Amino acid sequence: MAVAAQHSALAEHIHPEPQGFIRRYVFSIDHKIIGIQYMVTGLIFFVIAGMLAELIRTQLMNSNAKFLTPDQYNGVYSMHGTAMVWMVTIPIVTGGFGNIIMPLMIGARDVAFPWLNMASFWLFPPAGILLFASFLVGAPEAGWTEYPPVSLQGPPGTTLWCLAIILIGISSTMTGLNFMVTIIKMRAPGMTYTRMPLFVWAQLATAAINMLATVALSAALSALFIERVFGVPFYDPNKGGSPILWQHMFWFYSHPAVYIFILPAFGIISEVLPTFARKPIYGYKMIAFSSVAIALLGFMVWAHHMFTSGMAPWLQLPFMILTMLIAIPTGVKIWSWMATLWGGVIHYSTAMLFAMGFLITFTMGGLTGIMLGAVPADLHEHGTYFVVAHFHYVVFGGTFMGVLAGIYYWWPKVTNRLLNETIGHWQFWLTMIFGNLTFFPMHILGLEGMPRRVAVYVPEYTDLNRLISFSSYGLSIAFLLMFINMAWSFKYGKKAGPNPWGARTLEWMISSPPPYYNFKRIPAILSGPYDFGSPLPYIGLDSELERTQSHTTIPAGAH
Amino acid sequence: MAVAAGALHHEHGGGHQEPSDALYEEIRSHRLLGFTLFLISDCILFSAFIFAYLYLRNTIDHWPPPGIAGPDLLFGALNSIVLFGSGATMHFALDNWKHGNTKVFYRWLGLTLFLGTWFLLGQGYEYSLLYYEQHATWAGSIFGASFFTLTGLHGFHVFVGLVYLSILGWQTKQGIYTQKRFFGLTAGTLYWHFVDVIWVFLFFLFYIF
Repeated sequence: MAVAAQHSALAEHIHPEPQGFIRRYVFSIDHKIIGIQYMVTGLIFFVIAGMLAELIRTQLMNSNAKFLTPDQYNGVYSMHGTAMVWMVTIPIVTGGFGNIIMPLMIGARDVAFPWLNMASFWLFPPAGILLFASFLVGAPEAGWTEYPPVSLQGPPGTTLWCLAIILIGISSTMTGLNFMVTIIKMRAPGMTYTRMPLFVWAQLATAAINMLATVALSAALSALFIERVFGVPFYDPNKGGSPILWQHMFWFYSHPAVYIFILPAFGIISEVLPTFARKPIYGYKMIAFSSVAIALLGFMVWAHHMFTSGMAPWLQLPFMILTMLIAIPTGVKIWSWMATLWGGVIHYSTAMLFAMGFLITFTMGGLTGIMLGAVPADLHEHGTYFVVAHFHYVVFGGTFMGVLAGIYYWWPKVTNRLLNETIGHWQFWLTMIFGNLTFFPMHILGLEGMPRRVAVYVPEYTDLNRLISFSSYGLSIAFLLMFINMAWSFKYGKKAGPNPWGARTLEWMISSPPPYYNFKRIPAILSGPYDFGSPLPYIGLDSELERTQSHTTIPAGAH
Repeated sequence: MAVAAGALHHEHGGGHQEPSDALYEEIRSHRLLGFTLFLISDCILFSAFIFAYLYLRNTIDHWPPPGIAGPDLLFGALNSIVLFGSGATMHFALDNWKHGNTKVFYRWLGLTLFLGTWFLLGQGYEYSLLYYEQHATWAGSIFGASFFTLTGLHGFHVFVGLVYLSILGWQTKQGIYTQKRFFGLTAGTLYWHFVDVIWVFLFFLFYIF
């Protein structure tokens, strides 16, 4: 805290903007450009992974379809999951939103290590290309979890899969490290921990998970890689290895990883809701601390993915209880957000609609999570479409609704143009209707016993599967509307100005798009950012500076 | 991390203008936190492999598996002393740098590099004993998998450390560090101690436990 309150020599240091296209837009060290690079690359991979999802749904349109061969089908669903997790969601919520917004929110000129940031980004496109290149040599076929021994016998693409995920893992670890130092060390004077915007709290918790858990995955993947290439026995039971070992190491990362997805989305929601309800956020500290609690608990629940894998019964109970405990901090957040809306003057912008949609669909996913966390229920539901329904409600209905809210909320800050609200409303309602029609029936199919990861199924499941498939095409149209809206905005979008939403966090106090150095002078922070109805808690904003200079009166800061 | 460690010189390389004390101190505190976090994440990499080793070891009744006697305790202990000694010499090196005894610094740094190399050669000798006398291979058994992977990962860290310390030595010749501004040397020393500490655990787990 002392560091943040002190006068900072680094903050006075404005680097000249590098010149030339390559230095400015390709190998840029500017956090905003790198963030945009992450967003664009992530959205490109999102389109590819989304098309893979439509291939899955087209295959499942009929109970015994021949659209894809069983091997192709295995490759397609494995790559859909892998790409959505590592090449889309994690880069967008941390590298994308985190990079663009977080340094602006804390009043910094850049992240702590700009060169490391650039290196993190430039591991990402090669990782994605390496991953999709595995289609050329035979894509991995054991799902995004790649359980041995199936992954040990999988096609050559599985080795590329390992390398791609190791690369993106290194990138995530470096980003996490970078963000932690940035948030701990580079906050503007007066921005104590309890005055940080909640998005920054979410990024701090996420960065810690990214930095600590991802290396465990790298270890698991390295072991899988050397086992596949050199035959070193870690996982192969024929040579004394243990397939369960992989599951422990994989889930030790991958359970915290779902909090890497969701915590930044929580952060986005915590920004959008108070802004459009024009009310101070309810329970600021509880929301902030619950992010940390979720991050901590997230490390202690990995084995709830393994209740059916053969594990000591006395171990199941603590993992079940710890899993259910996570519902408490998550519930604290949901109630705080609802209390924020209570009595507010709600402005139904598209960003707000997505944030409110998030509250509904994420809660749905959270509730089925508790069902799956209960050992007796899980034994029945494990490996069925119920699990697929659960994590799509959490990742699509949770993270992606948050991402869409964030895109609509911060688009004007990044481009200085507004998105079309009519198209936005259409996108929201199509997403809400088709999203739920796509993922809700999966619960029913799962409870009826339809296994996940199958290319054919018994004819009794056909009706619901067709409903899901047709709805998923509708969902694609909703996303198409988003890209149309972006193109529309570039051509016809109204100029947004610095603060189109009347929001109060620091990034809205500077011009859109923000200048290279972000702040001419770093402002001082007097209180938290959500006190709607009070004067702004900042001293020495650049806009003030310009005003006072034009009147040639006393220098800014002497209030 | 090399990217981060080099950035200070990049940022100010253009104008050949030295940063003020306050600016240097601030950047140094960022680097120190960043480097510590890097070491923590590296520690988790080792922890994950150690977990894998203990998990696999727990699946069989007798360790090492039949037919393998395991590494030699006495040789391992002597080799460990060499590595721990290099930690001490690096400590003396940094201490002398702080006091401006550049000549003595180079002597201790050289000794550190010598001991580190000695440790690596010792490891190589140990590997050859295991291979030729006990026919233990990397891919042969879960003993080979865990022992060679973990000690190999550590050995790789030692090797990287030797390269890192050599580069630091070269950088001091270039006049990059002064008696007051030597974050690179601090980071190198921290890294070298980290490699030592990891070996304490590996030595206990493979040679004594």
